[in-house]
Amino acid sequence: MSIDFWSLGLQAVNVIILIWLLSRFFWRPVAAAISKRQDAVGTLLSDAQTAKTNADTLLAEVTTAREGIAAERETMLTEAAKTAEIAANLTLTNAQKQAQTLIDTAQLESVREADALRAELTAQATQLAVNIAQKLLSRLDTAVVQSAFVGLLVEAIGALSADDRQSLRAADQGIEMVSTLDINEQDKATLTQALGQALGSLPALTFVSDSELIAGLEIKTPHFALHNSWQSDLTTIAKALNHAE
Amino acid sequence: MKSPLQANVLFQLGPVPITEAVITTWAIMVVLILGSLLLTRHLATRPGKRQAMLELIVVTLDTQIRETTGAAPASYRGFIGTLFLFILVANWSSLIPGLTPPTAQLETDAALALLVFLSIIWFGISKGGVRGYFKSFAAPNLIMIPLNILESVTRIFSMFVRLFGNVMSGVFVIGIVASLAGLLVPIPLMALDLLTGLVQAYIFAVLAMVFITATVEESQPTVKDSTPVSPLLERES
Repeated sequence: MSIDFWSLGLQAVNVIILIWLLSRFFWRPVAAAISKRQDAVGTLLSDAQTAKTNADTLLAEVTTAREGIAAERETMLTEAAKTAEIAANLTLTNAQKQAQTLIDTAQLESVREADALRAELTAQATQLAVNIAQKLLSRLDTAVVQSAFVGLLVEAIGALSADDRQSLRAADQGIEMVSTLDINEQDKATLTQALGQALGSLPALTFVSDSELIAGLEIKTPHFALHNSWQSDLTTIAKALNHAE
Repeated sequence: MKSPLQANVLFQLGPVPITEAVITTWAIMVVLILGSLLLTRHLATRPGKRQAMLELIVVTLDTQIRETTGAAPASYRGFIGTLFLFILVANWSSLIPGLTPPTAQLETDAALALLVFLSIIWFGISKGGVRGYFKSFAAPNLIMIPLNILESVTRIFSMFVRLFGNVMSGVFVIGIVASLAGLLVPIPLMALDLLTGLVQAYIFAVLAMVFITATVEESQPTVKDSTPVSPLLERES
């Protein structure tokens, strides 16, 4: 057994050449392909991570915006509710005011109508009383009624104050005696005598008739009037009734 | 029957005898290189089946190197991978009738062992420097220098003797059985020879890695151990 060193060296050179060639044409290209793909995968993973980060950021922004929208919606709803409540209160207040105004107007109108009705009723009652009084008077003796009113007139003159009696006596244009019917001469003389006794001195008398008095005898001067008739009594009663109501 | 220990010289190139093993080696080289050129054409980022197979080979080799050396596989990949591929193809070339694998010849295995020996020196110096490489012989202490030098030679010697013995014996046994029993009888032994060829290629490559790694690690500057602080007793004043 012997070793051929020429063959040993030649085989060593062959293997070295093979190592070099395979390193160049096999190991490096395949390893480079692996490395290249690993780099590509790394890049893809990095891009994916970046995209995921961006997506997470966008999701966070969307979530924040959605929360903002929800808060804004809540705020708007609250404001709208407040506005609606204020408007409703305002409308209710206006409606109440208008209703109160209508009620007040209606009440005033009702009072006015009641007053008008009462006045009309009073007028009708007064007219009815006048009619009754006229019918009742028609059954009485006119002279007796007249003398009664004369007596009442004399009493009224006596109840006047001294100043009033003085103003009657000093009437420049005389005294107008108003009666329901025309007074005859005898009654005029009697009446003139009675007034003269009541006033002391007597200015000129003028006798006129007025059926509106119903019954009675009144004195009128330009500055003075002494009512003494059923017509004035009824007017006084009607006023009293109106004031009483 | 011709002795397997004797090289079959086909012709002479001056003083250099060209043996059958050398011619077979050249043929294997051509096949491997042409195969590499063909297989590594059109490598793409999205691999096909062919590229996936190539990448599986490279990744497996890188994983083996990384697990054995603990270092990046790029600087060892070409040497260790080519050793494995060449020995594997050479061992399996015995399947071709009438062809003697180059690894069944002492000169081829010796040449491979010589390259491993030189690569140990090369990687030891390139990783740890000349001083570091020579310091690796003094591990763990100076007394071990003669033994380490002897070991660096004997382990290489054992590598090529192991490879040579296994491959040569396989070829020898198959030749004896074929000459005695006929053509079809050695087929089971040839199948066993395939397994033996694969295992021997793997063992040779792994041993080369282990030897290189041991030298590289021992040539690296050592980090002094810090004084242990545990157990640490603390007293409260």
